[in-house]
Amino acid sequence: MKFLLPIFAVLLVLVLVGAGWSPKSISPEAGCLRINLGTEPPSLDWTVTVDNYSFDVIANLMVGLTQYRNNLTCKPSVASSWDVLDGGKRYVFHLRKDVVWSDGKPVTAHDFVYAWRRMLTPATAAQNAFLFYDVINAYEFNIGKIKDFQQVGVKAKDNYTLEVNLRRPVAYFINITALSPAFPLRQDVVERYGDSWCEPEHIVTNGPFLLTKWQHEYKIELTANPRFFEGQPKLKKVKYFMVPEPSTALALYENGELDFIDNRSFPTPDVERYRKSPEYHNYPLLRNNYVGFNVTKKPFDNKLVRQAFSAAIDREVFPKILRRKEFPSSCWIPPSLMGYDKNSGPAFSPERARQLLAQAGFPNGKGLPPITFLYPQREDVRLVVEAMQDQFKRNLNVNVDLINQEWKVFLATCRNDAPQMYRSSWGADYPDPETFMSNFTSRNGNNHTRWKNKAYDDLVERAGGEPDQKKRADLYQQADTLLCKDESPLICTYLASQNILVRPWVKGLEFNAMDLQFFKTAYIETKGY
Amino acid sequence: MLSLVLKRIVWAIPVLFIVATISFGLMRIVPGGPFDEEKSLPPEIVANIKAKYNLDKPIPEQYFLYMSRLVKGDLGVSYKYVHRTVNDILADAFPVSLQLGILGLVLAIGIGVPLGTIAAVNRGRKLDFLAMLVATVGISVPGFVTGALLIFVFGLWLKLAPVALWESFRHMILPAFTLSLSPAAYLARLTRASVLEVMEKDYVRTARSKGLSSAKTIIKHVLRNALVPVLTVLGPLTAIIITGSFVVEYMYAIPGMGRFFITAVSNRDYDLIMATTLVFAVLLVIANTIVDVLYTVLDPRIQVKN
Repeated sequence: MKFLLPIFAVLLVLVLVGAGWSPKSISPEAGCLRINLGTEPPSLDWTVTVDNYSFDVIANLMVGLTQYRNNLTCKPSVASSWDVLDGGKRYVFHLRKDVVWSDGKPVTAHDFVYAWRRMLTPATAAQNAFLFYDVINAYEFNIGKIKDFQQVGVKAKDNYTLEVNLRRPVAYFINITALSPAFPLRQDVVERYGDSWCEPEHIVTNGPFLLTKWQHEYKIELTANPRFFEGQPKLKKVKYFMVPEPSTALALYENGELDFIDNRSFPTPDVERYRKSPEYHNYPLLRNNYVGFNVTKKPFDNKLVRQAFSAAIDREVFPKILRRKEFPSSCWIPPSLMGYDKNSGPAFSPERARQLLAQAGFPNGKGLPPITFLYPQREDVRLVVEAMQDQFKRNLNVNVDLINQEWKVFLATCRNDAPQMYRSSWGADYPDPETFMSNFTSRNGNNHTRWKNKAYDDLVERAGGEPDQKKRADLYQQADTLLCKDESPLICTYLASQNILVRPWVKGLEFNAMDLQFFKTAYIETKGY
Repeated sequence: MLSLVLKRIVWAIPVLFIVATISFGLMRIVPGGPFDEEKSLPPEIVANIKAKYNLDKPIPEQYFLYMSRLVKGDLGVSYKYVHRTVNDILADAFPVSLQLGILGLVLAIGIGVPLGTIAAVNRGRKLDFLAMLVATVGISVPGFVTGALLIFVFGLWLKLAPVALWESFRHMILPAFTLSLSPAAYLARLTRASVLEVMEKDYVRTARSKGLSSAKTIIKHVLRNALVPVLTVLGPLTAIIITGSFVVEYMYAIPGMGRFFITAVSNRDYDLIMATTLVFAVLLVIANTIVDVLYTVLDPRIQVKN
């Protein structure tokens, strides 16, 4: 083995050289925020896009009628004010006159009407069009039943007044106006450039930054918009890299090539490592996780069994195994939204769970049919379902078979014929309980539990149209109790959280539970670095 | 030789047709569709989407529509990346993979063939043992382990190379090396076996007995013949390596085509799946044709029939 000695010697030299190597200094790039988007945004066409990656970029390119504050209430943006008339069925938005597109043309009410028309046109096939079905004749236009857009309840009264007529009062409608499909759009640009209108050389925007570079699957660059009506942002440039592998993104952060990373780029073991670092931040997200029961299949057609299974789960275990500061919750409405009451969900009680199971005719789990629990292939989900399997065994003496499927196969299985139990989650479309509660109404396509309850449907319907916020909150709280405690077609487990690392020279970043990353207030402090 | 190339081109047409047909069928059999997401869409919206992409038509009609576009060179549209055609996506991604692949291939040949030759010439000695140890490690250690190790040692620790990204030639070094290791190891083992076999031949013994130096014998008489089996594997190897590697591109954040072999399937991005499969098939045919031509150059006794 003598010949190996020189190799070890070379390695040793490398180690020594490495140890003494003066590392490249880690410092900011003046005026530039470098972050990891994780993957290519499927589209920057704000009318059709539905994913978070695209919206992260669009949120810094565009502004709509309203915008979310960090406390998730809506504030005026392009609309300086609005009137709610006819008992909540008519909205009149008064637009600012100083908002201009990046080519200098003013943003007008006609740009909003065009955007909404394009979104509702069947050929556009905009996935989020259904969010606007409460606008008069929007649904009929979107399914091709009526062809004349004049009949749809959105009109430009003049250049700076937009009127929207709804078929029923919708208490959360103002939230919808902050979503990207409601953003204005330039008809001349879209028609001139066709499918390539949202490439950097063609796109016109009205937000704090301009799209200046888009190397697909690699990098997007934004530069400050000198015409932005709230004033030019302090950042000169934002660079979004698309590094899909979290450990690589973390390596880039540690090497000083990224200033900011979040859950997408933060491997769980490293969250532990950074937990006490001043660069580490954590905040809860409006994303709730649950396990659904198919109530048409035995034994979960019996609500006592469902209640027993729900009471048998100790939710406190999830943050311990997932280690990202998840928020354990047994109810469906997240804490930051109206109607939340931690008592809406069942408390963890193995004793009560066993009693309920016995009451259902299955003492100590005897007599239960084989139970299948389906989950999608993902490491964190596997940890969750295995922990639940263990608790069902320990607390109810029930064996549950775990089956995993590839993501799209899993979705197809749930949609066509969900097994007795399946694992799922839901992220808020907008910061209102409606986005969560409507999922379990009888006709909702996301309700794979097949649970139908008229009282629940009525409560959610009434809450959706109730203008009095206190009454709304009460209605949602009642519906949440009915859903999570009384009927239990699902076991709520925990709310996800965002874990981020930010370099100390990045200032002015603001975070919110919708995980909207607005960079217009951010800046880079180069002094001292 | 020209007729050989022409024949291969003619043969490629039915091969590609069969590949396209099988891929098309397999995609439609797999459960889950391109627009299945966590948030189920109302049936009205699904109907609009299906109509837009002709997915509301019967499968045979979809197949006919696809094939009629394909013969015109239109690879279709991406269902995932709205407004982007598959032609655009490949036009952006393939040159990146090609660049990286060529560098990786050069490294693989440059490391593998000399390593195998050194091992064979020093058969049973320490150098042979060492070379084969390197080759075995190269084959056994998966790319994501090698890549992570290289990033840690040369990127984070020694800071001799960039950790990742695709900005300059320096950014190509670690990924190309990662990409080349496994093929280099394979080529080394193949070259060693082949060189050993050729070294037993009478004409090699004759060359040596006539006083030709060892180096000259190896280079002039042994390698030329020993490389024929190596060349055989270079065809498919070239196609594999220049269409990109999912692991390497994913790990080093390289905007190449390799990642689409996996992500297009998981997204059920039908036209993109078809395109990646077809591009791979085309490159395989081209690479194998070049290899067949090179056979005749290396060994004039070889005549390729049909």
